[in-house]
Amino acid sequence: MNKIRKNYCGSSEHDVSRRQFLGTAASGIAGASLLAQNALSAELKKQGKSMILLWLAGGASQFETFDPKPGAITGGPFQSIQTSTPGVRISELMPKMAARFKDTCVIRSLNTKNGDHGSASQLMMRGRKDEASLKYPDMGAVLARELGKPESQVPDYVSFYLQSEGRNFSGSGFLGARFGPMELSKSVMPENINKPDHISEIDFQDRMALRNLWSKNFEKGRVSGTLASHQQAFLRVNGIMDSQKLFDVTNEPQKIRNQYGPTQFAEQVLIARRLVESGVPFVRVGRAWWDSHGQNFETHQELVPELDHVMATLLTDLEDRGMLKNTLVVTLSEFGRTPGINSSLGRDHFANAWSCSLSGCGIKGGSVYGKTDEKGDKVVEGEIGAARLFATIYKALGINPQKNYYVGSRPVPLTDPGTEPVKEVLA
Amino acid sequence: MNYTNYKVDKNLGRQDILFAVARVPNSSKAYVAGSDFKIHEIDFDNAKPDLRSFPGHSSYITALVLKDDTLVSGAYDGKLSWWKASTGEKIKTLDAHKKWIRQAALSPDGKLFASVADDMALRIWDIKDAKMVREMTGEHKPLTPNDFQSMLYACAFNSDGKLVATADKTGHIVVWETHTGKKVTSMEAPIMYTWDPNARRHSIGGPRSLAFSPDSKLLAVGGTGKIGNIDHLEANGRIEVFNWEKSERVHEFVTDKSKGLVEHLEFHPEGNILLGAGGAGEGFLAFIDLKEKKVAHQEKAAMNIHALASADGMKSLLAVGHHKVLHFKMA
Repeated sequence: MNKIRKNYCGSSEHDVSRRQFLGTAASGIAGASLLAQNALSAELKKQGKSMILLWLAGGASQFETFDPKPGAITGGPFQSIQTSTPGVRISELMPKMAARFKDTCVIRSLNTKNGDHGSASQLMMRGRKDEASLKYPDMGAVLARELGKPESQVPDYVSFYLQSEGRNFSGSGFLGARFGPMELSKSVMPENINKPDHISEIDFQDRMALRNLWSKNFEKGRVSGTLASHQQAFLRVNGIMDSQKLFDVTNEPQKIRNQYGPTQFAEQVLIARRLVESGVPFVRVGRAWWDSHGQNFETHQELVPELDHVMATLLTDLEDRGMLKNTLVVTLSEFGRTPGINSSLGRDHFANAWSCSLSGCGIKGGSVYGKTDEKGDKVVEGEIGAARLFATIYKALGINPQKNYYVGSRPVPLTDPGTEPVKEVLA
Repeated sequence: MNYTNYKVDKNLGRQDILFAVARVPNSSKAYVAGSDFKIHEIDFDNAKPDLRSFPGHSSYITALVLKDDTLVSGAYDGKLSWWKASTGEKIKTLDAHKKWIRQAALSPDGKLFASVADDMALRIWDIKDAKMVREMTGEHKPLTPNDFQSMLYACAFNSDGKLVATADKTGHIVVWETHTGKKVTSMEAPIMYTWDPNARRHSIGGPRSLAFSPDSKLLAVGGTGKIGNIDHLEANGRIEVFNWEKSERVHEFVTDKSKGLVEHLEFHPEGNILLGAGGAGEGFLAFIDLKEKKVAHQEKAAMNIHALASADGMKSLLAVGHHKVLHFKMA
């Protein structure tokens, strides 16, 4: 009886099921296309591209960040300031990003139509809604799959979310656990990857050497993908155990730590930089919680300057290390906040006209895409939803947004069929 | 005083959110200001209450003090502006603070006023000369214990003007000598400030109002209680009363029928009744009987009250706030 696998095991030889491959190859042209796709995929993995997502959980206000409306009845108390791009202004709470706007594109025209924390988070993490019978992978899982190297000895997908509010929105869906996140929710140090205390370092190295000897002896005279896969999996686990030092921010020079600053968010973003520098293709740093139903302006006075400082420091650090051209930095929430100011001086959930930013890899820096009306009530130019944003992110990283995965025999493109990236955002 | 006998005799709807009010003595006129960056002269007894408006600042206006025909406004743009009240003519503007001006208070003799701002400075100004006469800094830290910007929310003079008190976001309260700038003492109201380290990792709250008792022995501090879900102002209003000379809290009161911040505090001239006003989703007046040591009466208001000015020994209360002006009149 033929069994159709529903999930990937992660081994490159299992990207496509035998049945599906034979079916595709029979069509000839499609087979050639598949081979070309695999070649492109291998080339992409060699380029070492990566993404850091600064996830502003709870919903940051576009008025107090990237789409200020000073003087409008909805505008709030903050002024706008000129960025390094003539004519482009952002909130006065972001002077450091204003000064180094050259690598950043702000999208001001998101209309994602979902103002519920849970389902909107899932939407903005996947680019589309799950189907009843199909759970889509989130952006981290897709990028782990597309950008992660099979021989990599570091995790492919790391997610920091140390606050307790607003968790549980990520998941690798039909891609399976192999591309799921290493979740850090209690500490910036991963749990359960330490060498057990009762095994000494010498003992551990001896065991490694013995395992390698036995493994090589066993492999003599045998040619097997299964054996190679087994060896790869072992090296991967060993590498992840060894990657613990990447999470230890004390290994970073004090000067660099000082540049990022003392907050928990700053520390996590610095670790994110260390991780992508070591080959991790996707890191999400969750910064909760922006849900300012009461005292919106006080909340944003706390959170935006921190974001401004840490984000600007990260971009400069990546640039100084020659990494920015291959690292995409995205700030994104599940939605924005209402133009109306409620009686607690708060702003509520609003998904009809809000903003995000993309910086670095593949992005046309120093630019703005889309426009909202004078009160920020609606998008008047360049409206896009989650699907086009995701297509744009994938394209910026060199990934074809219409590339198909296969769930059984069903082709599933990375973004909804026919979704085009926003070319004005791309370099 | 019969605090149970207030009636709302004027309820004026507005487009803007008002944060400041200064009343013209012995009249139904007042100056109000807030989210539209303008100063508005109103007459709440007039069928058309809006008399005049003049553009004042480039951000929310949060402070107004009036002495004779001199009106001074302070705003989140950090500026103080002097105006000829009767004409709306601007006399002078100063870059008074580096960050948001949160509050201003007129001294009892009307010669000086104090301003506080998020640059964590208390500055004393000569209202007539439009000059700063003193600056008090160093006691309120610019950062909270968790390395976020702090805010200096409130200030108040005592009855003879020799003392001025200030309160910051973390609940640190300082009493200063007006004429020397020296710190006299300090005290803490930490319950009013909520830092959430786990679920949401930011803060909310902080004292928003101060008032000395008429005999200057007590200092009342208004804010809100500890908040569980800091997405909302979900705690009840909170008032703490200190024997400031001993830095000792002697009373604490909670507005158990209303949530939010106490943004205005005022002692009745006889000293036994303390009025707190404020709100969140909706507003409130709370009358505290200091002899009985209890919240004696609470009155709902049709808006979150951000500022209030009384007259006639608190028989007339003019409250401003979220899209409204309310006049409470004692029957």
